[in-house]
Amino acid sequence: MSGTFVTLVAAEIERPSIDWHAIAPELILLGGGALVTVIDLIWLERVRKLIPTLTSLVFLVALIPVITLWADGSGLPRGLWIIDENVPATGVWEGAFVVDNYSLVLKGLFLLSAYVIVLLSTNYMSEGDYYDSEYYQLIAASVLGMLVMSSSRDLISIFVALELVSIPAYLMAAWRKRDLKSNEAGLKYMLMGVFASAILLYGMSLLYGIAGSTLLSDIAAAIDIGESRPVITLGIVFTIIGFGFKVSAVPFHTWAPDTYEGAPTPLTAFLAVASKAAGFVALINVVIVALPTQANVVEPFIWVLAAITMTVGNLIALRQTNLVRMLAYSGVAQAGYMLAPLAVYDGISDRATSAVVTYLVIYAAMNLGAFAVVIIAARKTRSAELSSYGGMFNYAPGLTLAMTIFLFSLAGIPPVGGWWAKFEVFRVLTEGNRTSGIALAVIAAVNSVIAAFYYLNIAKQMWFLPSPDGDNSRIAIPPALLAAVGLTVAATIVSGVLPGVVSDMTDFVNVAAGQ
Amino acid sequence: MFLNQFLFLSAVLFCIGVYGVLTRKNGVLVLMSIELILNAVNINMVAFGAFNADLGGQVFALFIIAVAAAEVGVGLAIVLLIYRNRRSIDITEADLMKG
Amino acid sequence: MFAAAAFPILPALIITPLITVAVLMLIPANRNSELKLAALVGTTITGMMSIWMLYAFEIADDGFQFAVNRVWLEELGLSWNLGVDGISLFLVVLTGILFPIAITATEPHHDPKQYYIWLTLLMSGSMGVFIALDLLLFFLFFEIVLVPMYFLIGGWGHGNRIHAALKFFLYTMAGSALMLVGIVSVAFLSQDATGGLTFDVVQLAEAQALSQTAQRLVFGSFALAFAVKVPLFPLHTWLPDAHTEAPTAGSVILAGVMLKLGTYGYLRFGIYLFPQAAHDLAWIFLTLGVIGIVYGAAVATMQRDLKRLVAYSSVAHLGFIALGMFVLNTQGIQGAVFQMVNHGISTGALFILVGWVYERRHTREIAALGGLQKSAPIMAGVFTLVMLSSIGLPGLNGFVGEFLILLGGFQGARWWTVIAVTGVILAALYLLWAYQRVFHGTPTEENASMPDLRLSEGLAILPLLVLIVFLGVYPKPMLERIEPAVERLVVHVEANVDGFEEPGPEQLPAEPATADDLTHTLEEAEAEAEAKEEAESLGGEG
Repeated sequence: MSGTFVTLVAAEIERPSIDWHAIAPELILLGGGALVTVIDLIWLERVRKLIPTLTSLVFLVALIPVITLWADGSGLPRGLWIIDENVPATGVWEGAFVVDNYSLVLKGLFLLSAYVIVLLSTNYMSEGDYYDSEYYQLIAASVLGMLVMSSSRDLISIFVALELVSIPAYLMAAWRKRDLKSNEAGLKYMLMGVFASAILLYGMSLLYGIAGSTLLSDIAAAIDIGESRPVITLGIVFTIIGFGFKVSAVPFHTWAPDTYEGAPTPLTAFLAVASKAAGFVALINVVIVALPTQANVVEPFIWVLAAITMTVGNLIALRQTNLVRMLAYSGVAQAGYMLAPLAVYDGISDRATSAVVTYLVIYAAMNLGAFAVVIIAARKTRSAELSSYGGMFNYAPGLTLAMTIFLFSLAGIPPVGGWWAKFEVFRVLTEGNRTSGIALAVIAAVNSVIAAFYYLNIAKQMWFLPSPDGDNSRIAIPPALLAAVGLTVAATIVSGVLPGVVSDMTDFVNVAAGQ
Repeated sequence: MFLNQFLFLSAVLFCIGVYGVLTRKNGVLVLMSIELILNAVNINMVAFGAFNADLGGQVFALFIIAVAAAEVGVGLAIVLLIYRNRRSIDITEADLMKG
Repeated sequence: MFAAAAFPILPALIITPLITVAVLMLIPANRNSELKLAALVGTTITGMMSIWMLYAFEIADDGFQFAVNRVWLEELGLSWNLGVDGISLFLVVLTGILFPIAITATEPHHDPKQYYIWLTLLMSGSMGVFIALDLLLFFLFFEIVLVPMYFLIGGWGHGNRIHAALKFFLYTMAGSALMLVGIVSVAFLSQDATGGLTFDVVQLAEAQALSQTAQRLVFGSFALAFAVKVPLFPLHTWLPDAHTEAPTAGSVILAGVMLKLGTYGYLRFGIYLFPQAAHDLAWIFLTLGVIGIVYGAAVATMQRDLKRLVAYSSVAHLGFIALGMFVLNTQGIQGAVFQMVNHGISTGALFILVGWVYERRHTREIAALGGLQKSAPIMAGVFTLVMLSSIGLPGLNGFVGEFLILLGGFQGARWWTVIAVTGVILAALYLLWAYQRVFHGTPTEENASMPDLRLSEGLAILPLLVLIVFLGVYPKPMLERIEPAVERLVVHVEANVDGFEEPGPEQLPAEPATADDLTHTLEEAEAEAEAKEEAESLGGEG
């Protein structure tokens, strides 16, 4: 607990020195985003073509301190302030911001995903005649929220980060102003998102009330009372429901398919990958750091969420005829697999975290890739209907092969990445040899078969069926999109064939609590 | 301290807000119902803060007020967009996509 | 050992087809003959290497030979752990022989490049399944082989090919998804006994750390995956569709190699890892196997489509193999391994012949054929030989396998075997009847003008014919290589199942046992085992 109001005023406030290196990624992104805005404001139309390049450069530059922090791993975990023996550690923000291996892996993931999203957006935005520079500034803002999120160990910073992720996304979902579907996408996403935040906040307020501190580690200490109290349970349940909306867990997923279908497709990729990952990061932070002693409340709740999320997501995905919608529901189902390790985190929270992060990393590669192919195909077919993919092998064999790799990866078929992600989840579920974990593993296994059905359905269209209108002219793939597909294919294959590359990064993940 | 009264008030506000979100068809009214929930949260935060003699609750409440303003700003912009294109802000009419 | 230790032959078996794939990718798509040549050369080299292994194989050694063990992921105990023993040796050789033959014997109708790429990939995966000694590696290959087969059936099949491909894929995946849960579970449950997480089959089998219930559940998850693949009744429904709609080469590989993944899985990963559970639940597999024999034969008799008939005969043959394996004695298992190879040879050859008939006449309807003997006497002769091998005529390879299985069966599972014998008679019935309808009689105009076998076709199928006769007349070289490994497996089962002794002639009950008696003894053994376990756990607590 921090000092009271009175003591704060009375004490002579000494300014502690800031650990600039630790917050360099966020600062670079903030400064870069502002710079892009200013450049856009000054030169307007003349620099419009440069904005996407500039934004992607900002992401890559922000990646540099992430890498140096990782390489200089000795000092981790580091906080916002440089700990000085002479300066007493006071202040409300102490421990709210922590840079450790876990957050660095996620920051890298967010920045690289954002880079790929910019590659996906460039042609879509400039050819669609939308406001493009503002779009990239909003993406930068949203990614900034994600970076902060991965370091947040405090209710306030989690909340602010979550909103920073979401609010720009509401705007971008409604980006195609004249398109009714896009309007609807933005409206549904915004209403559900704001509602979810409100529920989440109510849960947080109860947790804060019990603990008297917003710091996650303080909450953990305060609720470690060896029994469950209704108000704690209520706070936990509301909090998890709030995150459930963000990660589109059933039954809080209703916004996802409509928003995904209506929003601009690059943004859909952003929501399905980066924004969802941010939701999971928040969930992990709260569950692992603040609620390690409340497994008896958290586990059953998440167990049920995970089981119905994967099952319902897959069953509805089976019926879809629109590929983007199908990917949306498949994303819902994948969220179920990602929730699964958190249903058995008691005592093995490191392993559970590592499994979720591994899944997030691999899922990002394969899902971004799938969306890249959807965007490329739509340049020719002007449609995301499943039937429009017929005969794709005849006119775009390379693209078909890439999509097949992504689909098999999503279905979890080796040797491409997805199997490793699934394996990690199964490993955590069976590790404790608990009936609940093994039952969930069996449910997940059955689900992966259902999922294979609709993934193969797409592959079938592309490989075996003729194109619907007999048009077999080739697709011109712009370099940015080609790069996006190339990067994601490489990542998907490498993570499956050499899973050590991923596990080296995610295996010693443990979420450091703020001090 | 009168913590219970504050909590009771906020619980009532919360329930009214949730009820409003689930039943109202008008986009603006849904946003207002959400504001009610946020106010319930703010009351909780301030009350708990005072009860625990901790500043964090008030700080949190200030953040919520600021962020909620941004949310409502964006929200109203989107509702306005819908109104321009459809001449209606009935959210049940926004049903182009199903399945 | 000879040079075997120096040259990593097993990785080469997986990598050579992969190199071939790379070569194929570099050849332009319209160079049909070059593509075929490249695929043929690549698979033949692989086949030659597998045949060389026959020569280098130490007959008396009952362990794993040519072993290679490279760490892949240290913290998981995951490794490239490869090895071959008498059980897998001939399946590897079978894979090595069937692929070049399937490539020579048939031509794709379109997109040859893709077709050969998928086939060679399939070869790499199939080899991997048979030589992997790491559970997870095995699982990877087990899944990987689905993909090329899916594309082969869906892309180059007939009629309802896409549906058949999907059905094939989903059935197999449904089985193997649970197997992954089983694999991870067994590794974790044995963690203490093996001193760290490992997926090494040998270590896991030696540890035997699972409780009875856990062992049964995990065995069940494995058994389901293999039962789909074998396929055992009632999970066989994908097989007739897949076989019928697949292109000829696909059917040959499917029947010859991929069905063996299931039966091989039972031996290597079912019985070896979970002897107790396999022993306790053997009656299920004996029963399903016998049902498969009778049902497959009965349905085959009624088929109007020649290829479907051969497909159903596979169900019956695989039933025999299941019977042989789950008798759990040396003759039975040895016969089962022998029969796996036989089935690959004779059914593979049958599918090739049916494929040739189809290419010439564009129909497989038995009713539309007839009198082919007049127009194609050589083909009729070849068909007769292969068919007789499939029936199990003494002097040909099919007889040796079936005889060993029945011999073992009479010692361990008498009444099941009695019913199984009817399957032999039914096999003669449906195959001879089909032969009669297709090759005898007066040919219609179209059938009379059907060209006979070309020389190239004759040469392509010749190796299979030679093998049919050779293995029938002189099975010793093969049996003596299979035997040590099988004996080791049986000893392993004896050592790990309380009160189990290999069923053999010396302990036949004086009076003929009834089926009730047998189940009774099984139940007794089970009850004993349970009682003992209880006593042990009580002792542990005390």
